[in-house]
Amino acid sequence: MRIAISILCVTVYSVFTISLLNAEEPTKADIEFFETKIRPVLVKHCYKCHSSKSKEPKGGLLLDTRNGIRRGGDTGHGVVPGELDESQIISAMRYESLEMPPNEQLPASVIADFEKWVKRGAPDPREGRSLIQRKIDFDKARTYWAYQPIRKPSPPVLRDASWPRTKIDEFILARLEANQLQPATDAEPIQLVRRIYVDLIGLPPTPEQVDAFLADCGTSGTAGGTEIPQEAIERLIDGLLASPQFGERWGRHWLDVARYGESTGMERNYTYPHAWRYRDYVIASINADKPFDRFIVEQLAGDLLPAQTEDERYKNLVATGFLAIGPKSLNERNREQFAMDIVDDQIDVTSRAFLGLTVSCARCHDHKFDAIPQAEYYALAGIFRSTNTFYGTAGGGGNRQAGQLIGLRGMSASPVGVGGENAKAGQVIKQLTGQIKKLDAQLKRLKKKDTPANKTRAAKIEKQLIQLRKRLAASKKKAKPEASADKEPAVLVMGVQDGAKPSDTKLRVRGEPNDRGDTIPRGFLTVATKGTAANPPGDSSGRLQLAEWIVHPDNPLTARVAINRFWQNLFGRGLVVSLNNFGNNGELPSHPQLLDYLAADFVEEGWSSKRLIKQVMMSRVYQLSCQSDADLTELDPQNRLLSRQNQRRMEAEVIRDAMLIASGQLDLKPAEGSVVSQVGDGNVGRGLSADRFAVSSTKRSVYLPIVRAAVPEILRIFDFPEPSIIAAQRDVTTVPTQALYMLNSPFVLGQSKALAERVIENAGPSHRDRIVRAFRLTLSRPPSDDELARAEQYVTDGNDDQVWTELCHVLIASAEFRYIH
Amino acid sequence: MPMLRRDVLKAASCGFGYLAFAGLASNAAEKSDRYESPLAPKSPHIEPRAKRIIFLCMRGGPSHVDTFDYKPELENYAGKSPGEASGLNAQKGRKLMPSPWKFKQHGDSGLPISELYPHLSKQADELCLINGAHTDLPNHPQALVQLHTGSFQFVRPSMGAWALYGLGTENQDLPGFITIKPPSRLGGAQNYGSAFLPAVYQGTKIDGVKSVDGGIGNIQNSQYDQAKQRKQLELMQSLNRDLASRFQANSELDGVIESYELAFRMQTAVPDLMDLTRESAEIHKLYGIGNGATDEFGRMCLMARRFAEAGVRFIELTHEGWDQHNGLRDRLGRNCKATDQPIAGLIADLKQRDLLKDTLIVWSGEFGRTPAVRREDGRDHNATGFSMWMAGGGVKRGFRYGATDQFGIAAEVDKFHTHDFHATTLHLLGLDHTKLTYRYGGRDFRLTDVYGRVAKDLLA
Repeated sequence: MRIAISILCVTVYSVFTISLLNAEEPTKADIEFFETKIRPVLVKHCYKCHSSKSKEPKGGLLLDTRNGIRRGGDTGHGVVPGELDESQIISAMRYESLEMPPNEQLPASVIADFEKWVKRGAPDPREGRSLIQRKIDFDKARTYWAYQPIRKPSPPVLRDASWPRTKIDEFILARLEANQLQPATDAEPIQLVRRIYVDLIGLPPTPEQVDAFLADCGTSGTAGGTEIPQEAIERLIDGLLASPQFGERWGRHWLDVARYGESTGMERNYTYPHAWRYRDYVIASINADKPFDRFIVEQLAGDLLPAQTEDERYKNLVATGFLAIGPKSLNERNREQFAMDIVDDQIDVTSRAFLGLTVSCARCHDHKFDAIPQAEYYALAGIFRSTNTFYGTAGGGGNRQAGQLIGLRGMSASPVGVGGENAKAGQVIKQLTGQIKKLDAQLKRLKKKDTPANKTRAAKIEKQLIQLRKRLAASKKKAKPEASADKEPAVLVMGVQDGAKPSDTKLRVRGEPNDRGDTIPRGFLTVATKGTAANPPGDSSGRLQLAEWIVHPDNPLTARVAINRFWQNLFGRGLVVSLNNFGNNGELPSHPQLLDYLAADFVEEGWSSKRLIKQVMMSRVYQLSCQSDADLTELDPQNRLLSRQNQRRMEAEVIRDAMLIASGQLDLKPAEGSVVSQVGDGNVGRGLSADRFAVSSTKRSVYLPIVRAAVPEILRIFDFPEPSIIAAQRDVTTVPTQALYMLNSPFVLGQSKALAERVIENAGPSHRDRIVRAFRLTLSRPPSDDELARAEQYVTDGNDDQVWTELCHVLIASAEFRYIH
Repeated sequence: MPMLRRDVLKAASCGFGYLAFAGLASNAAEKSDRYESPLAPKSPHIEPRAKRIIFLCMRGGPSHVDTFDYKPELENYAGKSPGEASGLNAQKGRKLMPSPWKFKQHGDSGLPISELYPHLSKQADELCLINGAHTDLPNHPQALVQLHTGSFQFVRPSMGAWALYGLGTENQDLPGFITIKPPSRLGGAQNYGSAFLPAVYQGTKIDGVKSVDGGIGNIQNSQYDQAKQRKQLELMQSLNRDLASRFQANSELDGVIESYELAFRMQTAVPDLMDLTRESAEIHKLYGIGNGATDEFGRMCLMARRFAEAGVRFIELTHEGWDQHNGLRDRLGRNCKATDQPIAGLIADLKQRDLLKDTLIVWSGEFGRTPAVRREDGRDHNATGFSMWMAGGGVKRGFRYGATDQFGIAAEVDKFHTHDFHATTLHLLGLDHTKLTYRYGGRDFRLTDVYGRVAKDLLA
């Protein structure tokens, strides 16, 4: 019934529009001009590509109705009555912008007719609606692999049944056998232990940890050919999965996807002093092995979930920071544009992070490659427009769009103003209180002498006082709760809440925020839905239903996209290389059956991340050597078929943390809050110097301040992703600024010195002992004989106090230090 | 069979030492396809007219009607409202204000230039004035970011990053894209960022021209002298080469080895290049160095010439403070004085070194200023029409391209949108703006998005 009503509304709306356009009925002469000079040209030269009869209207433009020609296509208005410059059809005919018709330019006289026609107001008798309704064949679209239901495949038939250790290996070997490739040998224990430590907790193992693992394996580490007991590996993995460092490592992986940043970025770069709560929430969720489906639902709709305790309520709310921490263009003047940009960021991050779809492409037109009509973008936009986003930022100083935060006190949440807005409210309160006091005194005086004149004046003042008191109460309500001393300070949180009046939104023609089209009922994406999706109920935003739709086992994308990210973090490349794009324009999976096997298994077993990670790490393919013979390299240079492990450059955070742990200076205690929360509200680069976020801490890198456009130097230099972008796989660049950093930066020099002191203290006076210790602390292995000899030579030649610092510096700056293999 | 880079490295690690390694590397290995530096020079799409760009960014929006867009009609309508004319509604409630400065025709070409630029006027025959420029929004942050990246709405790669991505760079001892004193706000690093292009293409920021390392960062070692560092590097590179020979499949390791050699060379090349005392007194004088008003921008311009000469692909200089809502007479005059002689010196110097023919100089702000004013001595933002100019590599000399209406409010003839500027600039560098694409998130992106037209009429 609701749908029927909305259709009715649309019809009324469009009739209304048309009648507005027809305020002046075309005269007889107008119509004659149109029929003789305009219509025949349109029919002859344009209708083939631009009418409702054409197979696929080009550029979203229909010229066979008045409505269509005025509305225009993807690139602008076709005709704006009276305005030559704004009428795209004219510039296209003149070959100034597009060149239309494409084969041959129309004669000058015809173009002159059209100009004349536009100037007289483009009178046009053609009735009828012409909304582009590109018929999308969803059934056909769903035949693409990513939209196919996930089915657990049967295990492949293998020639060499003895090689695989796990199901994963069976799927890998099947592809290798089909391509006549032999897998590489197993990695040596001493390489494997470093790989496992870095992959799981983002820290290389200490010499003692290496020794413990080797002892557990019963080997000395480098003896080739001996098979590593899988029980020892399992014990190692279990231990690391349980350590708090695991969440710090894998939490950061998710923060890449979540475009985590502690300021708005863009032209006015205001801090988000409360963003760190979301960071900590992510780390804690991963350490707790929160089921991944639940993790998704909390981030999209935690505020709408029931909570039993204050702590749960807090965590659920902080989770929705996911929707609030995106970049914002705070000096945008147009409120509608600003609101739609926030919605766009939310649709973009939701669709890419969870579904691997670029839904944002449908903001201005139907998606060019995927079966996502523009209307479905606005079906989602309605959900997010019915949601209030609380991102804070102080007003004033060029911030035209100051926001609020959520004040959390016990189980209740309420909006809280920040900085400027709050200060403003404070000022108003002060002013009003003063006025009231003055009038009160006046009233008292007047009441002392009961004359008629005084009575009239008193009555007037009393009326005034009522008004003022009302305003005062309202201002007090607006002000920050902290302002009133009788209440406990609220915890301030970035996040979202449902708006007071959830409603559908209108399609925006060509994405122009103020160019409204039809109202689109809130809903989800047809192409990723089995059967027909129910529309969310009208009395809420629909976010919770959206989240539930995303994590529904029938959703073909969510589990696959998630699995692929985990895989990427353990192999350096996803089974689908385009992590954030599973659509028609993304890459095809290298091992579709393996992807589906893992995805189905993941869902069946309750979406446990830790279980999945362990499952992959226990496979033989994960444990292969990175070394391969020339043939293998030649036949599969990209290692798409995974005949070996990939040698991987460590992420910036790991490089920094590895230096700190080698030098013995790493402080493993989690940070409380963030440097940004200590600095507070402000506009970075204007009033707030970026130097305020300079790094001096020795805590893990995940706790460094991530201020957009002021990311710490070491992170920036080693390809930390731009925090405004929903990052997929990180870049791995190799540029001289990195080399200069490793050669000359005070941080690296300082770490080298600290490491040298530690080595000398640990190893005693023997040069050999010191060298071995230095190698083991930095590269997790002892030096080869040859390396030992070269290092000894260096130290002997140097013969000064600095030489041990120099040697430690060489090891930290070496390529091997920043690679795992 | 050509010697593979890997074999070279193997040979080198067997004890030839660095010099032998370097020699071999430059002969055999560079031809190898095993590792290609992403900054190596690449072939352009079409015959390039310019090999490099010096972009003089006048941040704040210089008044075009007081500098390069001569509007004599303003005299006749002084104090009148332009509001009646159609399409000029934005100027309602304002009164037209003639330029307080006189314009004269200069050179053989007779280009009209205001008396604010006495030195530059002498180079009039080198200039290609673009009087019909326009952009989308009259707000600093958006317009500045759009000028640099094409989009004011989304984070996109900057023009310099695109140029580097398309062409690589000629001097492997130096960064290929250098920006001197870019504003830290108004988009900040976005204006020289690489966004989704590989990070290697982003601009290297130089904060000032007085410090030795020029703000590149970590350019000098505070602990060891060069000989000591070289020795240290020998040991490290031997470890690196061992590693590279063990892991043949990974060409990044070659990259690490090369990056250390380049970094080592940059330590010498960059401070040398930044050392302006190597230039003669005449050259200093030419750029106005040593004179209070022109010293700073003079140094920046001279630095730009040194970078250009050294083979840096994209050089940008920013001069701040052109936002004269008030104090126009005083402050615009001061700005022009600070930049006039340095820019004229740059043109003259490039010419005398025969570098102007393949160096494109671009002068532009993010927009212009209103010919009609609300206040006596100030002009506001004008995005519908403004002026920029180009000189050198591939543009017509002593030429005036495009025009605004009779008052200078809106571009009318040969309108030159920011997208057209980008398309034309890439064209001059030998790049077809429709073909210079990068695939990201499932879509091919361009500097010009779906827009942009090469202004063929201004090409020499």
